[in-house]
Amino acid sequence: MQTAADYLSLPQPDRADHLWRYTPWRRVHPTGDVTEVPDISSGSVSITKLDGSPVPKGVSLERVDLDLGDLPDSDPVTLSFLGAVTATSGWKVKIDSKFNLGTPLLLDIDTGEGNSAVHLNLQIGELSEFELITRVRGRGDWFGLLRTGEVGSGSIVNDIVVGLMQQGTMLRVDSLDIGRDAQVRAGTVSSGSDRTKTDLRYLLKEPGGSVRVLGSVLGAGSMHLDHHVEILHDAPETFSRLSWHSACGGDSRTVGTGMLKVMDGSKGADAAQIFHNLLLSKDAEADSIPELEVLEHEVVGCGHGTANGPLDENQLFYLQARGLDPSEARRVLIAAFLNSTLSEMGSENLHDWLVVLLSSELERLGSGIDN
Amino acid sequence: MTAASGRAGALMEIVDLHVGIDGTSILKGIDLTILPGEVHAIMGRNGSGKTTAANVIMGHPDYEVEKGDVLLNGDSLLDEDPWERARQGVFLSFQYPQAVPGLQVGNFLRKSVASIRGEEAAKGADFRKELNEAMDQLKIPRSFLSRYVNDGFSGGEKKRFEILQMMLLKPKLAILDETDSGLDIDGIKTVASGVNAAVRGTDSGALIITHYSRILEHVKPDFIHVLIGGKIVASGGPELATQLEENGYDWVENVAAEEVA
Repeated sequence: MQTAADYLSLPQPDRADHLWRYTPWRRVHPTGDVTEVPDISSGSVSITKLDGSPVPKGVSLERVDLDLGDLPDSDPVTLSFLGAVTATSGWKVKIDSKFNLGTPLLLDIDTGEGNSAVHLNLQIGELSEFELITRVRGRGDWFGLLRTGEVGSGSIVNDIVVGLMQQGTMLRVDSLDIGRDAQVRAGTVSSGSDRTKTDLRYLLKEPGGSVRVLGSVLGAGSMHLDHHVEILHDAPETFSRLSWHSACGGDSRTVGTGMLKVMDGSKGADAAQIFHNLLLSKDAEADSIPELEVLEHEVVGCGHGTANGPLDENQLFYLQARGLDPSEARRVLIAAFLNSTLSEMGSENLHDWLVVLLSSELERLGSGIDN
Repeated sequence: MTAASGRAGALMEIVDLHVGIDGTSILKGIDLTILPGEVHAIMGRNGSGKTTAANVIMGHPDYEVEKGDVLLNGDSLLDEDPWERARQGVFLSFQYPQAVPGLQVGNFLRKSVASIRGEEAAKGADFRKELNEAMDQLKIPRSFLSRYVNDGFSGGEKKRFEILQMMLLKPKLAILDETDSGLDIDGIKTVASGVNAAVRGTDSGALIITHYSRILEHVKPDFIHVLIGGKIVASGGPELATQLEENGYDWVENVAAEEVA
């Protein structure tokens, strides 16, 4: 079990580090005093099917004391900090082998008020096939989410995390091991909180593993939304795609940094990452840095790219020529931009749910997107 | 050859229209009147100003109207934004329709119809029936509705989709900017049937902009106008298309020059 002493024994992160370039740790820490580990309460956690009905046999959620043991592949500072503050707020989500469900599961986390944190440990058995939405809501000042776990061999999982706090800071750290021939779609929908820092790590350590990492990020007002994604190919014939769409308006800032590592021996690896940023106002700012480290020569391909731009004037004219007023045309184009990744996250059922959620978020943020 | 302008009861009137872009004059005084139920065609070489005319009527912000007016049912459109013109009944079938990745066709059609014909028109079984009938007429499969707007569409699919929108939006004035370009003969017949269904026997009008006479064999225009160098140099009946096909644009330029002389 990680303790406050473990965290405090570590050197503080360096801003020269890729992960901390745009959002220093003190701005993410609950009090800003990085030498303390404050008392943090536990957010409440529940799981149902997306239609609200109870989960079927084969799915369990239980509160446990989680021991990180050997630290999984992630940043030691945030990992040990979250490990310490979630020592008594751990939850194990266990999905049995060969579990199969057509309706998405909805794991709801209510942050409550003040500072809270949750450690979710996902234990997904072999050959299972399902969709899981982890939804974070609430009016907390600070929320920490640590997600660790494993996806069993041959499983097909759409794992979507929706971060929609209405204020405050959200720190999320994921470290997920993807098993042999498993296929994972890892989606992130992010908006709402004043400040978000995520560090998502996916480890392809078995042959044939596949992950598609997808992001739909909407910044408005003075939000600061910083997402870092690392995908590690450490086995032959592994596949990954990272596609990240961020729209930012107001004087918000979005950051997307990616690190794609292909280790020696990962023959036949196929990896690519692309960041698209849509700038909606003159004061909005978007930064993307995709990075590659390829240590294996025999790969199918490894590519990266980034593109920034405002709304397309020709698209705006086209929609206005179809009767949409300028404000609605903008909303439709923003939603379309975010939908390009949203629609890849899972089933039609899941997508419909996400579209409704995104529409209401666009409505709620209103003028904060434009000005 | 006579110009079809200045007639009473006009649906649309273009009056002495001068238009430029980035300081370059493109249209140099156009007059054109379309009555309800009429189909007009503008023909001309590349660069003659045909697409400029279409974009100006729709209100494209890049163009500067230097002089003249465009009226719909007697009211000037020039101070109206594109979406206001669309809601007043102006429709432009684009030469190069914009792709909008992430926006599903079905969703887009509902929003467009709701914007122009009202929320009720875009709801329920009646809308679905109308949509299905129009798609059947244009030979567009149902799977089209879940695709993204013009994203990955073939040239023919884009043009059919423009006509599908026209049929659902029920415009007073439909402007078709080279809708026949890139279509095979079956595609042209299909598009023409959509235009005829939208205009013939109604109070609507259409302005077809084209290089070629092929589509005009299937949508018989009431008037044809020849645009050269930013001016309409000749106007006439459907026979003008045949003469152009046989003699080329040099012929009409020479005839126009002789008339001036």
